[in-house]
Amino acid sequence: MSVRDDLAERVGVDLEAIDPLRVALYATLVGLVVFYLSPLESGLMTALKTEAEFATSPPFVPPTVEGFTLEPFGVAIDTLSSAILNSIMLAVPATVLSALFGSFAAYGLTNFEWRGQLGVVALFIAGIFIPYQAVLIPLSRLWAIVDTQELLAPLLDITVFSAQVPVLGTVELATHPHYASIINLIITHTAYGIPITTLLFRGYYKKLSTEMLEAARLDGAGAFTVYRRIVLPLSMPMFAVTLIYQFTQVWNDLLFALIIIPSGSGPAAVATIALNELTGGIIQTFNTQMAGAFVAALPTLLVYVLFGDKFAKGVAGGT
Amino acid sequence: MADLTLDHVSKFFDDGGSKVVAVDDASVTIEDGEFLVLVGPSGCGKSTTLRMIAGLETVSEGEIRLGDDRMDNRPPRDRDIAMVFQSYALYPHMTVRGNMRFGLEESTDMGDADIDELVEETSSMLGIADLLDRKPGELSGGQQQRVALGRAIVRDPEVFLMDEPLSNLDAKLRSQMRTELQRLQEDLGVTTVYVTHDQTEAMTMGDRIAILNDGELQQVATPLEAYHRPANRFVAGFIGEPSMNFFEMDVQGDELVGDAFSYELSAKSAEAVEGSERVTLGIRPEDVEVIDDAAADHAYETTVDVVEPMGNENAVYLELGGERRFVATVGGMRRVEAGESVVARIPEDAVHLFDATTGETLQNRSLESADLDAPEANL
Repeated sequence: MSVRDDLAERVGVDLEAIDPLRVALYATLVGLVVFYLSPLESGLMTALKTEAEFATSPPFVPPTVEGFTLEPFGVAIDTLSSAILNSIMLAVPATVLSALFGSFAAYGLTNFEWRGQLGVVALFIAGIFIPYQAVLIPLSRLWAIVDTQELLAPLLDITVFSAQVPVLGTVELATHPHYASIINLIITHTAYGIPITTLLFRGYYKKLSTEMLEAARLDGAGAFTVYRRIVLPLSMPMFAVTLIYQFTQVWNDLLFALIIIPSGSGPAAVATIALNELTGGIIQTFNTQMAGAFVAALPTLLVYVLFGDKFAKGVAGGT
Repeated sequence: MADLTLDHVSKFFDDGGSKVVAVDDASVTIEDGEFLVLVGPSGCGKSTTLRMIAGLETVSEGEIRLGDDRMDNRPPRDRDIAMVFQSYALYPHMTVRGNMRFGLEESTDMGDADIDELVEETSSMLGIADLLDRKPGELSGGQQQRVALGRAIVRDPEVFLMDEPLSNLDAKLRSQMRTELQRLQEDLGVTTVYVTHDQTEAMTMGDRIAILNDGELQQVATPLEAYHRPANRFVAGFIGEPSMNFFEMDVQGDELVGDAFSYELSAKSAEAVEGSERVTLGIRPEDVEVIDDAAADHAYETTVDVVEPMGNENAVYLELGGERRFVATVGGMRRVEAGESVVARIPEDAVHLFDATTGETLQNRSLESADLDAPEANL
């Protein structure tokens, strides 16, 4: 009995049956996991270290007991909390609105026949390819002309919701005057989101059975009822796709925020802008920066976790 | 309840600037409670006709009336029509109950309790009461078919429209549903227009059948009338399986001369073909007699090419004059072998004569009119 056979017997595995291709596949997969996760891991480890510890150990090594601290997270949360609330107040409406309008537009452009339809679809598609940079000046001009704060004056400065939350302190949802510039940002992001969401929904609605929609019409449902009772419930997987996509886009955007929110910061600053404040001055505090990045990225992560299975369904084209 | 009338209805489509005629001047009145089958090859305009009645297509010319009310300008929801689609078109996110309730919720003022009662009642009539809380995706094709029917029945419409509702079912289920549908329609007494390309469905289900070809209505008649007294060659060839044998022949006095054989006509038939130079002689396979006596009148020596045994009968493909193939059906117990020489007799009383150019019937087979009345008992 050879050593090899002996080993095989002892571990209870038939070594002959191990496919070298499979071994290579798993090795590659493990390599990819390490490749994608190592920056995250290093970031997290850095965020949990004191500055002294950070200076003496490689970034991916976990902190020692003495070097462990949650202080960077405390600093990050303190600095970012109001900006994150602003970001939520921006990203949630902008995402929902662009998904909803995209769905409306796609329904009108796909499930009805009317003259000139294709021309309108072409405009929507063209809208996807307009680079953000090309519209920065027109955008800042537009929001200089349209005074949202004055237009919405009666609606601003109302407290919608206020509560004491541990860790975060006082959480307040109020329509401060500075919210006007966030509204500008919502409108801008909604407008820029509509072309892509329309296209996504259109692809989805094209696959809806025409006979089913006709059956609903014969059953007495008008165009809006067909949308509300048939099309909308059936497009939930696509809503998950557009919500995740748009939320990530809006949440991570810095360019529009810098242009539309005056002076780049102040009470209206969104998370991406506020994150910049953690950069520190001459001395780089990497641990608080990393903690801030984690705190700022948390909501997008949550959205993926919440809508992940529906997202997969939508991407796979299932209903 | 009222008659459904199609009055000179046409439908044109615009195909890149050129006008395509989908339905050409179709007129038919479907009586109250009648089961009319629209049958024809694919692309003949039968589905378009149905969709015009439903209001899913506009009518280019002509009128559609229910009783005296013109309805071709009304939206589908105001026509009091229910339709069963080939794909069933169920709402996948709703339960069977939801599917059946939908139409009532949208088109009536009925209360929840009344709707529930009606849905329960209809579903037990169709044998799907135990499926009410399932979704369409969990049902078999046959069950989905029943739900689609239930969704139409529960609305108690003036007219049922059915667009090839059985074509997605397997053969056995299809013949079972055929009978069931017929019985259901009889019980409910709702005017029904049923579209199919399957001539068995057309023959067995309809009170009358309307045969369409190239957008033109060829004939509207009872199934047996269409079978025995076809209005033209198209109907003669379309109805019946295996289909009628046709022979193109020249008229020479009281004789028809074809490539393979000549056929002597009686005085009566000769009179019918007078004025035509070329005619088509038609004979149904079951009317071709396979006999031994070559001396009989209208008997021809043929060679058996292929035999298709069906069990109850054999379809025998015969060669005449080396080339011309035609079909005769003989009893299933009768042994006929390929390659055998047999005598085929084409009896004159079973012969149909059509004008070769227009296809119009010149003379149908002779038949006691009582034979055509017989099926009335089954209506």
